[in-house]
Amino acid sequence: MSGRHVRTVTGLHAEGHLGRIVLDWTPVPWDTVVDHYAVYAAPDAGDVEPGPRTLLTKTVYPHVVHSGLGGRARGFAYRVVTVDAAGARSKPSAPLAASSQVSVTTTGTPLAVVGDFDGKGLEFALSPNGYSRYPATFPDGVDFRVGADVPGTGWSYLHPGPSDAWAGRRTHTFRLRFDLASVPAGAVWLAIWLIDSHATIPGSVALDVNGTAVDRLRFEGGATRGSLEGDTTVPGTRLRPSYLERPLPPGLLRTGENVLTMVKDEGSWIAWDAIGLFAV
Amino acid sequence: MAPIRHPADRFLSPRFDWVDGVTDPRLNRRTFLQLSGVSSAALALGVAAPIGALASAEADGAQLPDGVFGLGVASGDPGTGSVVLWTRLAPEPLAPDGHGGMPPRPVPVRYEVATDESFRQVVRRGAAVASPELAHSVHPQVDGLDPGREYFYRFHAGRQVSPTGRTKTLPAGPDATFRFATASCQAWYHGHFTAYRHLVQEELDAVVFLGDYIYEYGITAANLWRAGAAVTPEHGVEIQTLEQFRLRYSLFKTDPHLQAAHAAAPWFVTWDDHEVQNNYGADGSRYGVLPEHFVHLRAVGYRAFYENLPVSLSTLPEGPDSTVYRRSGDGELVRFHVLDTRQYRDPLPVDTADQNREDRSILGAEQETWLYDGLAGSTAAWNVIANGVTVAAITTNRTDQWDGYPANRRRLLDAMRTTSNPVVLTGDIHKHVAAELKADFTDPASATVGVELICTSIASDGDGAPTDAYTPDWVRHPYVRLYDGRRGYVHVTLTRDAMTSEFKIVPWVEADADAPLATVARFVTPAGAPGLERLA
Repeated sequence: MSGRHVRTVTGLHAEGHLGRIVLDWTPVPWDTVVDHYAVYAAPDAGDVEPGPRTLLTKTVYPHVVHSGLGGRARGFAYRVVTVDAAGARSKPSAPLAASSQVSVTTTGTPLAVVGDFDGKGLEFALSPNGYSRYPATFPDGVDFRVGADVPGTGWSYLHPGPSDAWAGRRTHTFRLRFDLASVPAGAVWLAIWLIDSHATIPGSVALDVNGTAVDRLRFEGGATRGSLEGDTTVPGTRLRPSYLERPLPPGLLRTGENVLTMVKDEGSWIAWDAIGLFAV
Repeated sequence: MAPIRHPADRFLSPRFDWVDGVTDPRLNRRTFLQLSGVSSAALALGVAAPIGALASAEADGAQLPDGVFGLGVASGDPGTGSVVLWTRLAPEPLAPDGHGGMPPRPVPVRYEVATDESFRQVVRRGAAVASPELAHSVHPQVDGLDPGREYFYRFHAGRQVSPTGRTKTLPAGPDATFRFATASCQAWYHGHFTAYRHLVQEELDAVVFLGDYIYEYGITAANLWRAGAAVTPEHGVEIQTLEQFRLRYSLFKTDPHLQAAHAAAPWFVTWDDHEVQNNYGADGSRYGVLPEHFVHLRAVGYRAFYENLPVSLSTLPEGPDSTVYRRSGDGELVRFHVLDTRQYRDPLPVDTADQNREDRSILGAEQETWLYDGLAGSTAAWNVIANGVTVAAITTNRTDQWDGYPANRRRLLDAMRTTSNPVVLTGDIHKHVAAELKADFTDPASATVGVELICTSIASDGDGAPTDAYTPDWVRHPYVRLYDGRRGYVHVTLTRDAMTSEFKIVPWVEADADAPLATVARFVTPAGAPGLERLA
């Protein structure tokens, strides 16, 4: 629409994380009735030309999480355009370049992995919406042996917690068993990728390796959608994936069988993308 | 009298610079500045325009695409002498950009109101501007009408004439018989709007819609239970932008029985949660959206609500805020108090002590004061409270309902004790429930201070069944007199002496729209004796 001035957003800034880049900006004042903000992105570039091919997403929020970037460090250029209630468009914001962080799943050597680090939880048992069958299928939780079990039957797509009435309002334990021919000389990292989690009470798990209590892993709030859908790569998905990678203290692993135990004794469920241990 | 606005006339403040929104050279600043007698705000907001001064724009309007009245017509918020008319121009209702296939320029719309269906006795004519800022909707308010009278109305845009709508003003005297129906929860994708097909056969004076006019969820193979229906991919994601909300309203309004129901009688409409997001409260999302972000979703949800429904200009949002609670009717028979149980509610309780806090409110302090003052000051025989979620005490863990706000419920029940014949109308739960409201729900022997008529859904949850897993929670209470989980509506007849409520159901909605209508229960509530006497 010619002759109409629509405010351009200001204050566009970004923060790079594992697998995602978080964008924020200053919303236009309320006297502009916003239909949406159109966010444009171009990979490996210093600027982006707004157009249908570079449209990343439309949002009403002054905030976008550009997720699903995988384990490699990915660079993007961004601009934001305001579209008002009449369909009129602002001039693009100033460009901004940002990068995501590299993941140990890319740089490390896998020691034990369950699932694919791909933004999907569809390979797991009961996925994408079979949580009501969890109590009957996994009455004692998950006990998964790498090399013998398969994710489609051995690892539940959801890990419930004591806040989940559908899972008996109790703690739930997931065990990951794996053999090592030799203990890695360097650091070993744990990588946990989630496709989603409960929005307000994602809670935490108590982590134990070979009988030694390690730490408590706290999860980010998700979108409470991952109990019903399992693919964060679907356009328009409201799933909110999150990533947790941290080194294990030295000396915990041993030659032969190792057992990593996660007891979800706080909060509600998390929805798995993948879990793995990596030597770096 | 027009619906009582609160706060009064806020829309007349000069916050809308409508001239900035006008880009078409044939309907430009100079043209509008030559007009007189109508405020610029009213003009810009699709409420009024000086008839006869828009000739050049109307000449251009003659070039409009065919079928601009594809979303039908409606009327709402009737008073004893007024009613709001509504239409939204949309020759392509399902255009993905949410603009309904309209060109991005203002279009003048004329309307006529007559006492006869053939428009020989036209009693009011007027015009309004349909602007792209409001998705080409108009909301002219027609004043100076006679009380308790049937009227017919239609719109003109260019050379096109809308379908004719029927409306009616509220009665003034005490001796009328006033008939209305209540409806809620119309998940288009879960089934056909069969209930509306039957509802339009009733000779109604009003329809009261109690929330969940749309649903925000993505429509996919998993939830598309309406046999014969198909949607394009843009409907498959959860809606978030204004264009998506507009498109969702358009999709639901493509149902011919819904359009017919709007055209058959004036509606009072309030919202529940799904006009924005499931189970939200105030600025709180259940899905982890930060409050400072969530208000932006609320802003577009509220905006689309206004654009697509026959509601008073007083409900037009300012940013993320909208005053939807309002009152109508200064006659001696009935007064409507329309509530908003979403926008001002306190957050979910963190524990039992928090839940029982005396200062917890589902209405917010300002709306509570407004309601209690309005109930106390009402001179009507019947005071009808249109409300989103169940008031009656059911279980303490139903914290999204008034069960989550027991102190507020006590204050409401106290106010009802001194109110003339209070009747609460509710939706939300997808079940028919009739309940007596007790002065003290912990003492079933305490006085009954009013009744609550909860209507089932129009389509949400598909066919349903007479009983289900939730039934025991409800029927264990002696004050719950009916529970039925099938789809339908409630029909209410008010006279000075009594209220008769009839709970109507259709046995299926998923397969087709052909299901017959049945009445599962009828109750009489004598004036002055709150309670539900079941009829055979």
